[in-house]
Amino acid sequence: MQKKKRNLAPYWLILPSLLYLALFFAYPMARGLALSVWDDEAVLPLRTEADLASAEVGRMHQGTQVEILGQQGNLLADTLGDETNLLTELWFNVSGQDVDGAEVSGWVPETRIRVREEADDGTPLQGTVRRRLGSNADPLTTVFAEPNENSAEMGKLEASAEVQITAVATLEVWYQVRGEEAGQTIEGWAPSRFIQVFGDEVNGRIDRGTAGEFTWGFFERMFNDRFFGPAVRTTLLLMVLIIPTQFVLAIIMALVIQARLKFNSIFLYIFAIPLGVSDLAVGILFFSIFTQNGLFNSVLQGLGLIDAARPYLTADTRGWIIAAIWLAEVWRATSIVMVIVVSGLQAISDEVLEAAELFGAGLWQRLRYIILPLLKPSLQVALILRTILALQVFAVVIALSGGDVVTVLANETYRQYFEFRNANVASAYALFILVISMVSAVFYLRAVRTQQEIAS
Amino acid sequence: MAEIRIENATKRFGDFVAVDKANLVIADKEFVVLLGPSGCGKTTLLRAVAGLGMADEGRITIGGRDVTYLPPRERKIAMVFQSYAIFPHMKVRDNIAFGLKMASVDPREIDKRVNNAAGLMHIEKLLDRYPSNMSGGQRQRVAVARAIAMQSEVLLMDEPLSNLDALLRLEMRAELKQLLAGIGATTIYVTHDQIEALSMGDRIAVMKDGLIQQVDHPTVVYDLPSNLFVGSFIGNPPMNFMRGQVQQNGALKVKIGDFELEPAERMKPLLKKYDGQQVILGIRAENMETLNHPVADGVKVQVRVVEPLGSQNLLTVKIGEDIIKVSTHPTFNVAPNNDVWLRFPADKIRWIDRDSEQVLYP
Repeated sequence: MQKKKRNLAPYWLILPSLLYLALFFAYPMARGLALSVWDDEAVLPLRTEADLASAEVGRMHQGTQVEILGQQGNLLADTLGDETNLLTELWFNVSGQDVDGAEVSGWVPETRIRVREEADDGTPLQGTVRRRLGSNADPLTTVFAEPNENSAEMGKLEASAEVQITAVATLEVWYQVRGEEAGQTIEGWAPSRFIQVFGDEVNGRIDRGTAGEFTWGFFERMFNDRFFGPAVRTTLLLMVLIIPTQFVLAIIMALVIQARLKFNSIFLYIFAIPLGVSDLAVGILFFSIFTQNGLFNSVLQGLGLIDAARPYLTADTRGWIIAAIWLAEVWRATSIVMVIVVSGLQAISDEVLEAAELFGAGLWQRLRYIILPLLKPSLQVALILRTILALQVFAVVIALSGGDVVTVLANETYRQYFEFRNANVASAYALFILVISMVSAVFYLRAVRTQQEIAS
Repeated sequence: MAEIRIENATKRFGDFVAVDKANLVIADKEFVVLLGPSGCGKTTLLRAVAGLGMADEGRITIGGRDVTYLPPRERKIAMVFQSYAIFPHMKVRDNIAFGLKMASVDPREIDKRVNNAAGLMHIEKLLDRYPSNMSGGQRQRVAVARAIAMQSEVLLMDEPLSNLDALLRLEMRAELKQLLAGIGATTIYVTHDQIEALSMGDRIAVMKDGLIQQVDHPTVVYDLPSNLFVGSFIGNPPMNFMRGQVQQNGALKVKIGDFELEPAERMKPLLKKYDGQQVILGIRAENMETLNHPVADGVKVQVRVVEPLGSQNLLTVKIGEDIIKVSTHPTFNVAPNNDVWLRFPADKIRWIDRDSEQVLYP
């Protein structure tokens, strides 16, 4: 018996599909999601010793108040060179004569040496030991075996003794801190760049962490943002204004085209022109219409309806800005709805419409009982598309209002990212738009279900 | 009373004349079939009556009311469409009730009529279903039920059975005929199927190239076609046509090949005019007598093909220059290449003018 041959062709398409999904969908989505709910710097692990390799004592959250118990310099890893907030110490490897006149070489902090001679590139070559000030301080300077005050003593140098500087080591300062986290006192070491020390040199706080943590914080910040409320309200208001207008107009336009009048195709082309104009250009166009010296004022003045040119796009005329945005968006995006509706209308068979006419339905009844119900699937697609696009309205708003007098959600995403440099809250805004887009899409899919779907 | 009068109705599409000065009077409660090959204008004429494509010229009246330019909904007609035109988003019940709702009929009355129409079409069980998952036959029934629920005096049907498979068509044909006889509406029924036309119509109007060729009872149209086209279009097999030479040497004879045929007495005066000219003889396959032995008044022909069809044996024979079909009794035993003798009953022969292709009537 011959085995049924498997059709492998679809499987070849899986790989490109997965690549597409990963590169263009999954990765940006995951990244965006991560940015909005994942705080990269939330937690700082504290170590038993001033060493990244040592055991972890515990973790402290960003912002926790701590007491600074001590500090220590550690050789700086090369990879840390670009880190911000690095607090470093320099140590010199010196050789010279100690207090007893014996040759000694070893490490001393840079603070103990005054550099007297440097190479052309700035490398210190030779210096003298600084005089130690203070009444009860040891007048001598200790030389250590390692660039570390805990290492073995090699000898002591007298003030003003001349030394050759043979090497320079950059150390990163670590703090030993103690603080309370979740009711427990934790004590441990952490690099200085993660800790902010207050002016008293004793107290400080965890400035940022190295470990990430899930947080609703960015969303909280978004909800508490002073622009959030206005942005949501304006976006919804624009949606409510724009979408019904567009649908009524689009259906009328589609019916005009479907009526197969004499200059049918010219209508279609004229209706479709705005599809080719970018939204920013439309915004600027309507800006030029509604400026004080714009077309709108000229026409009104020409008709004698107003005496002097009036400003429309100012902080005091929010209503006019909204109206201008409404007009611009209706002008710009109605034709996309029309295109969808036209394609939906063409799917309705002529015989069905003729039957309706023959069985007594007038124009309005045909629209109400036959055309609109049969257009439902197309209208659903158009509605979802338009709602999502309305939630993303941006360029027109920016062009007409500058983004301050009237703000929308997309504008706040932009503002958070570029003005406040806060990718996390920007991401939270973007995600918020996505979530309400999805909710509305699901709502439409359920609310505008076709009869056949309900039946089956 | 809903007599339909079509007077000089003409419909053009650009330069193409789809219906050319059609005249047709359909009596009240009469069932007239518009029959013709595709593109002959029969559907166009029906649509002019329905108001879906208004006539360019002429007049159409229904029950004495001039409806030529009235919109369809004001003509008080019901129609069954070729592709059924069921509203796909409505349940069968709402489909049937649509016209009644549009006419604001009382809901109880609507219910009664919907149930009644569904009962007549045996689709009571489908009333609450959507048309999307129904068979063609079921949709067809819904379309008919929708039309008859209107109880209009005029019912138009545009090839209602053409989308059904052969067996279902046969079944629906009889059912529709019975149903329509019971309803008693003035009916125009468009079809390209001549069997359907013959079996269903009170009268048949045969159309070709926008012109109505003949309007008469099915038997007359079959037996006495008005011209060559009608004879060749109606009947299966179509009417046979042969060329004959009229000769008057004393008695009037018509020569078909070597055979001399004597026409019926009443045709002789007419055929005299054609002395020395060719005429076309038309005869139905079943009207010839076939014999397997020579007879004096029979013509000898050779059988080319024998097609046993159960109810008859259909022979294809060559006579003179022409190939004709002859129907014989199924027991008539003959093999291809055998000789048989054909006898032509004089009263069954139709005589056709070669140039006008019109049948000659005494």
